[in-house]
Amino acid sequence: MLSLRVAILATVLNALIGVPLAWALARRRFPGRALLDLLVTMPLILPPTVTGYYLIVLFGRRGWLGGPLYQMTGWSIAFTWYAAVVAATIMALPLLVRTAKAAFESVDRDLERAAFTLGRSELRTAVEVTLPLARNGILAGLVLAFARALGEFGATLMLAGNIPGKTATVPLAIYTAVQTGEDAAALLLVVVLSALSCVVIVAANRLGARAT
Amino acid sequence: MSDRLEVALSLQVPGFDLDVSWSAGGGVAVLFGPSGAGKTLTLQCLAGLIPPNAGRIVVDGHVLFDSASGVNVPAQARRVGYVFQGYALFPHLTVTENVGFGLRDLPRARRAERAAAVIERLGLAGLEHRYPRELSGGQRQRVALGRALAIDPALLLLDEPLSALDAPLRRALRDELRALLTDLGTAAVLVTHDFTEAYRLGDRIVVYDAGRVVQSAPRSELLWQPASESVARIMGIRNVLRGTVVKATPDRIQFRWRGQLLEAVNSPSRSYLPAAERPIAFFIRPEYVRLIRKDRGPADPSHHMNLMDGVVVGEEDFGTTWSLRIRLTAAGEPAQGDHDLEVEVPHLVYEILEIDRDRRWQFSIHRGSIHVLPA
Repeated sequence: MLSLRVAILATVLNALIGVPLAWALARRRFPGRALLDLLVTMPLILPPTVTGYYLIVLFGRRGWLGGPLYQMTGWSIAFTWYAAVVAATIMALPLLVRTAKAAFESVDRDLERAAFTLGRSELRTAVEVTLPLARNGILAGLVLAFARALGEFGATLMLAGNIPGKTATVPLAIYTAVQTGEDAAALLLVVVLSALSCVVIVAANRLGARAT
Repeated sequence: MSDRLEVALSLQVPGFDLDVSWSAGGGVAVLFGPSGAGKTLTLQCLAGLIPPNAGRIVVDGHVLFDSASGVNVPAQARRVGYVFQGYALFPHLTVTENVGFGLRDLPRARRAERAAAVIERLGLAGLEHRYPRELSGGQRQRVALGRALAIDPALLLLDEPLSALDAPLRRALRDELRALLTDLGTAAVLVTHDFTEAYRLGDRIVVYDAGRVVQSAPRSELLWQPASESVARIMGIRNVLRGTVVKATPDRIQFRWRGQLLEAVNSPSRSYLPAAERPIAFFIRPEYVRLIRKDRGPADPSHHMNLMDGVVVGEEDFGTTWSLRIRLTAAGEPAQGDHDLEVEVPHLVYEILEIDRDRRWQFSIHRGSIHVLPA
């Protein structure tokens, strides 16, 4: 199922990019930190179509990154299912980063200081102390990111289009079904997506409750 | 004895300015002072967690920090055992894993052996597989101590090690900690804002106030000879008062206070000789004020020094003693709000003299019990 594949890949990318990013934002002081925080958070507030527009500017056939790539290889990410993954990843990132950052920040600094005095470097301390203690918060963030990726509509439509069997994820399929009057199909997908969202919220709450 | 620990630190952080210099011989140096005086900041500098702007830290001849020559040994390499306020035990690790955390460089077998030895030494045997949340306050304190001692530290730092405990346990563990620290012989720096704790645990007490050292002295010297009025107030000494000098000689100081002429012993070691009419600060320990019994005839001024008349205006029961607030019958504003002197009497004395009925008393203070504070 395309939607699941997109959402799972987007969640994995979130874990790989978002967790280190959240740690850096929570614990390190570096130039451009506030700007980075702002950039990551933007998709949460902007209309998804605006985020989608920026993604086209970046990854489109004439985009800053996509342009040179298209000229060299003749291949563009736009209107492929990879584009759906990129859109879902970017849209889900703020949810993970904000949750994980809060989880990292809630770890007592004295625990990290203790690890330093016991011979651990900053990186080893992050891996051995901070990460395990922030684990539940991070997992809750990943669950939320997965749900967001699964339900992504606007930015996906902009960058990946709505190509049945190729880039049409469940939310896009619901839109098509309603437009073409296939009410039964639309209802089925709506129920499935709603049920899944409920499960996700309950799971995230449980993880969040255990984190405290 | 040569100094095992030399500390000079200068550090400016927003809203706070730390500038201290002190040294200590063997044993425990206690940093004592009110909250926010810079005590914990000093520990963090000693541990290498915060670099001072300038200064020098030397432990047993090893230079850990020296801004003049650019030396700054990282926290990881300082071999400083740190017992944090609230202990900072790793909640996701067992007692054994916590204690062994600093031993990662040892081979597995040596590490287990060392951790087991420390656990045994601190009386934690049987708790090896417990997590911190499954331990009592006293056990947690010992795990924190064990974790810091396992690395065989050159210097041990303890930040309010007893403040997280209940009062009865606190007293028991205070004496236990004292015995352990004496036994270990490791140079140690302990932070507290409780004077009893400072006095019980410290060989030397360094008094901090607002980022400065106001006195550094062996504990008994500090107790009987606070360096100034502000030190006396930080120590929580009661009846810190101000008078006017009448005459000072190397062994006596006479001064006026609330219309009375009082006489105090001048410390021969410090022979403080202020000029007449100069203001002078002094303190009188509440337990050293004598009430004159009325059933033994009138008081004899040649026998009872510094004789005064007063009225009990308030009292508080402290269980084994009563604290009385006494106002002199002399004219003028009382020295301490509604009263002039706080006087402490044992319950037995309070009952025999029937102080609850009889509020007017004569009392005297031996000249050796009035302590003059140098300006």
